[in-house]
Amino acid sequence: MALPLPPGLTQNEVAFLAEMEMVTVVPRQRLDSIDLLGGKTPQLRPPHRAQLPLWLALLLKKQRRANIVPPAWMHPASLAEIIHRETKEDPEAFSPPPPPPSRALYSQPGTARRLNPSYLDDFTQPQQDSQQDPNSILSPPFLPSNVAESPAGYLPYHWLEVAEALLTHAGDDMPAPAGEVRSLLRDLVEVRAAKMRSSTSALEGFGDAYLTLRGVGAMELAENRSFLAGLVDGVRKIGASAEATRREEEEEARRGGDYGGDGDEDSDEDMGL
Amino acid sequence: MDIDDILREVDPVSHQIPQETRDLQDLTRAWVAERSTPELLPWPSNGLFERINDKIKRQIEKVEEMTGDMDPKTNFALIVIQTELERFKYLVRSFLRTRIAKIDKHLLHYISNDNLRTRMSQIEEAYARRHQLLLHNHYLNSFLGTFPPAMQNLNDTAGNISMIDSPDLDSAVFIRLLKDAEIECHGVDVDGVLTGKEGDIVILRWSDAKGLVEKGDAELV
Repeated sequence: MALPLPPGLTQNEVAFLAEMEMVTVVPRQRLDSIDLLGGKTPQLRPPHRAQLPLWLALLLKKQRRANIVPPAWMHPASLAEIIHRETKEDPEAFSPPPPPPSRALYSQPGTARRLNPSYLDDFTQPQQDSQQDPNSILSPPFLPSNVAESPAGYLPYHWLEVAEALLTHAGDDMPAPAGEVRSLLRDLVEVRAAKMRSSTSALEGFGDAYLTLRGVGAMELAENRSFLAGLVDGVRKIGASAEATRREEEEEARRGGDYGGDGDEDSDEDMGL
Repeated sequence: MDIDDILREVDPVSHQIPQETRDLQDLTRAWVAERSTPELLPWPSNGLFERINDKIKRQIEKVEEMTGDMDPKTNFALIVIQTELERFKYLVRSFLRTRIAKIDKHLLHYISNDNLRTRMSQIEEAYARRHQLLLHNHYLNSFLGTFPPAMQNLNDTAGNISMIDSPDLDSAVFIRLLKDAEIECHGVDVDGVLTGKEGDIVILRWSDAKGLVEKGDAELV
């Protein structure tokens, strides 16, 4: 049966996508590596930490077989810093996304390389990387942006979904009382929603070709997607005939300019005689 | 074993991403892309779906074997495998249902054009043809049969307007740039050039974003 939804992911689908993010887990029981369709899970041996997808971590937490380590950006100090940056330092745009992750290069001690090598990098890649598919660039939810080692002070793409899931199911694992983290998150949600609304009001009479939303989160996009897309499409359809005439005029002007140049040359040659 | 091999196993990043994880990433990206665009995207070409279907079948067989076991220790592994299987099946089902919805919306458009026909898989193409035939026959029996024979076609192109609906290729889509890129964008009042950095999320027309997405420089969000 055909899917009746309009184009664009719904909030439920975004939540499903966010459950694929990796988080750090401290197991309480031993568990052997399971052969899943998406690869093998790491072997769980307490008290060593392991990285698991969020859905599996939540399952283990519900059965009291593991504790989840919240990522560093969820700490109240980090959230307060992000709120400060959103309100005071940059009241127009969203706070920047986390920097691309880097690893130390084994073959060249002292050098670091990015997880997603860009063609602009002039590091000589070690042998195994040259065999890697250049098109396999990692992006959320497959970037390690919610594990314990993720940098603090940046909101990853799926921040709201992951934060809500961790607060609901793993509230006792938080570094601070869950109420405090929740209230900071509410503030952050409100600040960003206000920014989203003000950015849409700037779209009145939207005639530009594009709009950049650097740093926006997945759930915020999903909530405003239908409105924004509807707005842009509506303006486009209303202005369709105006746009068509504008393009014709530009085409004429270009062609008219060419003819004008030829005419001038002819007249100059005539004048020379 | 060489020290290089041992270190490659320990360091999870320089070790190449295993095929299954890459398949999951490709499937997820294909699903998001298909859910976000107004037109049908080409069927994933590198045998992705055949592999995934095989793996799902084998996993279902494994689950059936393990269910007979009923040992408390393997019980938990069974729950995990079943949960993951359900997630995978949801992705595959949603992907296929989205494609069928798009094909249904513009049946004649996708069947009549040769380039677009190659975007469908064989099963989808057979489905589209049968559906189109059934629909046309139904229309003929209901009301189209009473029209004069010259007007019984559904693909009339007289009067400078084609009867065949085609998808709106200028719809707004959200993309995330995977590399720094310069994109030429068309707008209502002005045409602009966007200098985007990696990680930017942009609203664009699909006709402008299509080149980037196909090259792999941007992905749909």
